[in-house]
Amino acid sequence: MSDAGSPPFTNLNPSQSSPVGTPENQPVLSMNGITCRFSDVIANNDVHFDLFKGEIHGLLGENGAGKTTLMSVLYGLYKPEAGEIYVKGKKVDIKSPLDSIGLGIAMVHQHFLLTPSHTVTENIIVGLKSPRRSILLNTTEAENRILELSRKYGLKIDPKAIVGDLSVGEQQRVEIIKALYRDVDILILDEPTSMLTPVEEKALFSTLSAMVKAGLSIIFITHKLREVIEASTRVTVLRGGKVIGTVMTAKTTETDLAKLMIGRSLTHSVDRLEQEIAAGIQKSSSARATAGLATMLELKDVFALNNSGIQALKDLSLTVSKGEILGIAGVDGNGQSEMAEIVSGLRKIQSGQVTIDGRDTTGMSPKQIREWGLAYIPEDRLNTGLILEYTIAENLILDRWYSRPYSGKIFLDKHEMKRFAEEIVTNFDVRTPSLDIQVRYLSGGNLQKIVLGRELSKEHKLLIAHNPTRGLDVGAAEYVHKQLFKQKASGVAVLLLSLDLDEILLVSDRIAVIYAGTIMGVFDRTTADVDKIGPLMGGYVVEAGA
Amino acid sequence: MSTTLILGKRLSFKHIVPFLSGGLAFLVGGIILYAAGVDPLEAYALLIKGSLGTTRAIADTLVKTISLLISGLAVAVAFKCRLWNIGAEGQLYMGALGGLLVGIAVVGMIPVVSVIIVLIAGIAFGAMFSLVPAVLKVKLGVSEIIVTVLLNFVALLFISYLLHGPIKAPGFLPYSPDIFPESELPILIDHTRLHAGLIIAGLAAIFVHFLWKSKIGFELKSVGMNISAARYAGMNITKSILITMAISGGLAGLTGAVLLAGVQHRLIEGISPGYGFIAVIIALLGRENALGVCLVAFFFAVLLAGSESMYRTLGIPVAFAQTLQALVLVFVLIGEVFTRIHLPRRIKRVNEAKLEDHGKQIGAPAERGKGE
Repeated sequence: MSDAGSPPFTNLNPSQSSPVGTPENQPVLSMNGITCRFSDVIANNDVHFDLFKGEIHGLLGENGAGKTTLMSVLYGLYKPEAGEIYVKGKKVDIKSPLDSIGLGIAMVHQHFLLTPSHTVTENIIVGLKSPRRSILLNTTEAENRILELSRKYGLKIDPKAIVGDLSVGEQQRVEIIKALYRDVDILILDEPTSMLTPVEEKALFSTLSAMVKAGLSIIFITHKLREVIEASTRVTVLRGGKVIGTVMTAKTTETDLAKLMIGRSLTHSVDRLEQEIAAGIQKSSSARATAGLATMLELKDVFALNNSGIQALKDLSLTVSKGEILGIAGVDGNGQSEMAEIVSGLRKIQSGQVTIDGRDTTGMSPKQIREWGLAYIPEDRLNTGLILEYTIAENLILDRWYSRPYSGKIFLDKHEMKRFAEEIVTNFDVRTPSLDIQVRYLSGGNLQKIVLGRELSKEHKLLIAHNPTRGLDVGAAEYVHKQLFKQKASGVAVLLLSLDLDEILLVSDRIAVIYAGTIMGVFDRTTADVDKIGPLMGGYVVEAGA
Repeated sequence: MSTTLILGKRLSFKHIVPFLSGGLAFLVGGIILYAAGVDPLEAYALLIKGSLGTTRAIADTLVKTISLLISGLAVAVAFKCRLWNIGAEGQLYMGALGGLLVGIAVVGMIPVVSVIIVLIAGIAFGAMFSLVPAVLKVKLGVSEIIVTVLLNFVALLFISYLLHGPIKAPGFLPYSPDIFPESELPILIDHTRLHAGLIIAGLAAIFVHFLWKSKIGFELKSVGMNISAARYAGMNITKSILITMAISGGLAGLTGAVLLAGVQHRLIEGISPGYGFIAVIIALLGRENALGVCLVAFFFAVLLAGSESMYRTLGIPVAFAQTLQALVLVFVLIGEVFTRIHLPRRIKRVNEAKLEDHGKQIGAPAERGKGE
């Protein structure tokens, strides 16, 4: 208590002032020849990675490219088979996250590691030693220091708030402050934008630049090209566990990075995509014209509760026409899941009406609605879309097990099931070593193809696609988008619910923004942009006419 | 090709594990016997001789197999659908009661019909009793584990009450009156106790085997494996849970009726020496499938019958059979952890690696070829 000058819990080094982002000097971190292998799979193959003081270094790659493995090696979670790590020019041996924190390296994980029932301060100081020997926890000094950090980097936070009450963006700030509090000078961010609204994303990027100005170095893991271009100084692209290249961000483009990342140019990436969208809009408007803009799905004044009995949908109204893709933009947990469940009959409606192709389907069973013409790609393909213990064939008949030709009067028709499985595996390019293994041995992209195969092979006029590309790599996502376009072209009404705003903007004809269970606005693709949609996603009503 | 090799290896290995586990159990059991001053080899020889050495011994073993098999199937059906029915013992007693009530009431029918009615009554009573936990689960979300366990006591005490009062036959002992002879299951081999329940058990196994190949079986299994996927796919959750429990309880009730009509011919307090509980182990060891349950039920019957002769000759307590059962269970569960958790992880990694190569060589050009 006497040494009032010493900061609480740990020492804060005043950020060393040195020039920013000059990659000429000694790297603050370098990883040389890292090789990491899981049984037969090489996750990192002779990877070299340098990080300079004061730079934001984007680590770009598809799922399974080895980004996370590389960072886990740095964070002491995996031991590499070969390779050396130098921090500030000194060779180090990182055996656990404790070692890496000791070296000034911290990681903000994609899924936050916070205790929801504790305050911000308690979450930040957990695990640190108090400088004073006292049984009681005195958090005042810590709070002051948190406020100081918060001011310095523009991370607005109330140290006394309960973490469970905070938004996702605020929780992320807590995680970042947690790292800063420990005096790190290297910060790893794993997919930091995946849960943020565009507004929060911008705030994060400006925080990051404030942090590098103060002398920190940041590794930014992502598979989104736009973010890398926007936020980083340099980019390292990983593919198949190998470094494909490291480039200065200023000297590259999204198209070039995409090529590096997937090893071939995307058929509909960026430029091509724009064309395709234009064609798509034309196609769909012509389809809509021929269909006379007939409404396929209509939600009218829908109210519903979520699983915890809280109002999830409030007076929600919406229509989707034949041959169009309506994208629902919104931050996770604003009623998207409940909306999809209401349409598919999985959730009880409090009041309101759902009409599919002129028939009132409110209160009908999921089976009846499916038979009436709903195809549904669920949000959670692992737990809802598929039964992981089942084979491909069994999963493919999950919704039609009772009908011909897949079964007779009493028994399932094994031969027909097998024939159908072969057909779908071929048509949807599912890569599997055998038809008889449980699907849990397959990769995420292949699982999604099985769900797509099942849903799109049935007769349907309405398709709900809920986060259809989440967790998929660029190639697989592109495949899914193509399927959506095909659906549209064939006159199916598509309701696309996605947390990925880029995806919504990419494939939708019209875009509806959902916030707190209500539609905040509906835009035509041609008039919609992030600046209009972003604030609505955060619940800010823009003045009329916007 | 190499991928299938890995899968093939896994399948065969998976099937060897239970036998390895059984072997280890006997090894450890042997050490216990040795420590107790008995020659393990002699003891095990007696075990085999006592259960399989003579026609009579085999018949007795098969009689035990009948009860273990049907009750094992009962539990296996529920477990396959992830319904933890631990109440087979209670359902068995209720089934026996149902059989008795019909068996002492129905007179003058041709024997076959009479027996069938008794067995159906057993199934009905067992099924109805099992619907109590099923309905509680469906309507109120009560755990079926707790309810089924507790209902065992309810059933046993209820039967005990009946045998001491309302349905007690004249005499000192708490026995019910005998069922009419035409309701008894006929003896298959003269001068043994082997009765026609063996055929019933066989039919039950065939029923369960084909249940999983049927439409309704697929629905029941899917609901059990993953409720949210089943609901999403349009399956009826409530109906499926009720049907699964009814089949499970019905089979347990059938066990009771077969014991009544085939062995005791009357209801007594100890009509089942805990078959409904051993059934849980049998269902688990039999991997919840009909053939597996048949094998394990027979194996356990050998253990039970053999341990009686070990007791008579060497004075080894009958409880040693239970010790062996427990050892088998422990080792098999260890094996299970190995095959279900450890092995799949390895296989997954290997498969992914294989697939990656596979994809690079075959998949990629195929996709390019397909593009538009």
